[in-house]
Amino acid sequence: MSSGLVELQARLRDRAEHHLRMDAMRRLRGDAPATVEPYDDHRGLFWRYLFVPLYRRIPWEIKQRAIKAGRMTASGWTPPSREPSRPWQPPDALKRP
Amino acid sequence: MSQRLIVIGGGGAGTAAATIAKRFDPDLKVTVFTEFPDIAYSPCGMPFVHGKEIPKFEDLFLSTVERYREDGLDMRMETAVTDIDLDRGTVTARNTHEGFDKLVIATGFTWQKPDVPGANLDGLHYVKDIRAAAEFDKRLDSYKRVVVHGATPLGVEMAGGLGRRGLQVDFVDEGPWALSEVLDPDVAEPVHKALSDRGVTIRMGTKVQGFVDDGNGRVKAVQTSDGELECDAVVVCLNKLPNTDLATAAGIKLGTSGGVAVDEHMRTNKDGVWAAGDIIEVPHGLTMLPIHGLTGAHAYAQGRTAAFDIVGRGARYDPVWIPWGMHAGDYTVGGFSIGESLASSIGVPYVLAKGVGVNKARYYPGAQRIHVKLLAEPGTLKLIGGQLHSAGTGVKERCDFLAFAAKRGATLEDIAYMENIYSPPIGALFEPMAIAAQNGLNELYKLERAAAV
Repeated sequence: MSSGLVELQARLRDRAEHHLRMDAMRRLRGDAPATVEPYDDHRGLFWRYLFVPLYRRIPWEIKQRAIKAGRMTASGWTPPSREPSRPWQPPDALKRP
Repeated sequence: MSQRLIVIGGGGAGTAAATIAKRFDPDLKVTVFTEFPDIAYSPCGMPFVHGKEIPKFEDLFLSTVERYREDGLDMRMETAVTDIDLDRGTVTARNTHEGFDKLVIATGFTWQKPDVPGANLDGLHYVKDIRAAAEFDKRLDSYKRVVVHGATPLGVEMAGGLGRRGLQVDFVDEGPWALSEVLDPDVAEPVHKALSDRGVTIRMGTKVQGFVDDGNGRVKAVQTSDGELECDAVVVCLNKLPNTDLATAAGIKLGTSGGVAVDEHMRTNKDGVWAAGDIIEVPHGLTMLPIHGLTGAHAYAQGRTAAFDIVGRGARYDPVWIPWGMHAGDYTVGGFSIGESLASSIGVPYVLAKGVGVNKARYYPGAQRIHVKLLAEPGTLKLIGGQLHSAGTGVKERCDFLAFAAKRGATLEDIAYMENIYSPPIGALFEPMAIAAQNGLNELYKLERAAAV
C-alpha cells in the first residue's frame, strides 16, 4: 500500500474511533455520578449524525469482515486460537437449562 | 567476521533488544544510540517522585551506562541518529556514518502537543526526560497552582501526585470523566473522589482553548471553555504519538494507528530491520486491530522478541490482551482488554458479569471491597474484557490473571468455579472474580429460563 493510502487509513480510523467513542460515552454515562457531557465543538457532523448511527446498525460479524477487507487488521500475525482445551464444566445442577 | 547490530533508542525496548541480543550472541557487536544523557531509568515512576511518594529521582535508575559497557555494549550517549540509509546499511550520527548488518529502531514516542495558541510558551511541562523532570520538581516548590491538561493515565497520576504535594491543581479534559478513553463511567465517581481528596479540582467536559502569556513568554493562565485558570505551570498529559520520523524517512512502513507496522517477530517491511516499543503498533488479541502506546512492560517484551529473532532463536510476540492498572489518588483502578465503553464504541457484543468481594477476609483489619466487572462473548461466554477497582490491594494481580485467562479462551464458567486462595491477610473465602462470574451466569440462566417458558 502507498504511504498516502496508509496515512488516509490512519486518519479515517482516528476520526471514526473518536466519534464512536464519544457516542458510546454519551450513551453509557446515563446518570453515572460524577460524569458530565463531553465537550462538544459541533464539528464532525457527518461522523456524528451519519457514520455513527449507520455503524451501530451493522452487526458485528459484518463489521469484522469489512474491517478485514479494508486491511485495517494487523498482517503477519497469528490470531489467537483461544481454544486451549475443553474447559472445566460445572456440575449438572449448575448447568444452563 | 562478527556482525554489527545497531539499536536506536535507549528506552525499555532498545535496552532489552541490545542486552538480550548480546547475551545470546556474545560475538555480536552491539551499539546503542540515544539522544539522552541517561539510560535505564523508569519514567513511569516520575509522577510519584513529584508527589513525594518516592523520595528522589535517583531511585528510579535500574542500571548505569558503565554496567552496559561492562557487558560489552558500545553506548553512544547524547548522540542522536539523524538518518538511516538502508541501501548502504548505515546510520548517520554527529555527521558520521556507521555501518550495520542489523538494525533495531526503538525511538519511542513523543507527547501530543496542544493545538491551541500559546502552546510554545515556557511553563508547559511534558513528563519524559528525567533531568527535565528533576528541574521541574525543584521549581514546583515555588509554585502554588498547576493545571494538568489531559485526563490520561499519566494525567491522573500527575494530578494526584501534585495534589498530594499540596499544590492547587486544576485537572482539565474535554472528556466526560477522568480516564474516559479506557475507564467505564461507573468508576468515575470513586476516581474523582480520590483525586478530590488530594485537593484536585476536577474540570471534565472542559476544553483548553489557549495558554495566556505573562508578557515574558511564560504561561500565566489557561484559557478554557469554562473560563480562565491562573497557574504557575501546565503539565501536558495528552496522547503518546509514535516517534516515527526517522523510520518513515527510511521507507519503513507504518500501520493504521500511525505506529510502525511489524510482524510477530518485530520485523519491519525492510530486511534486517526490526522495531519495538512505543514506535510500533501491535494487534489487540480480540479484534486484531493494531494499537500503540502500551506500557513499559510491553516495550521490554517487544525488545526481547526482536533480540531473540535477531540471534535466530525465533520467539513470537502474541497479540495483546493489555492488563492495566494504576493509582488514581489513593484508589486503584484496572482492567484488561476492553471495558464497556470501548466494546460499545467498537460494536463488540457482550454479556456482563458484575460482583463485589473483598481483598482479604472480611474480618481482617484493612479489608477492602473489590469491584469486578467482566465482559464475555455471548454464546461462548469467553472472556473478552473487564474492569476492577478498589480502595485496597489486589487489583493488579487479578487484571494480569484475567488477561492471561482471556487470551487462553477462559469462559465465565471457568472463572465462576475457579480455585482460589483463602488466607485471611491476603484473600477471602469467596474470590471476587468468581462472585462476579457467578452473578453473571445466574442472570443469564434467569434470562434463558424466562425465554424457555
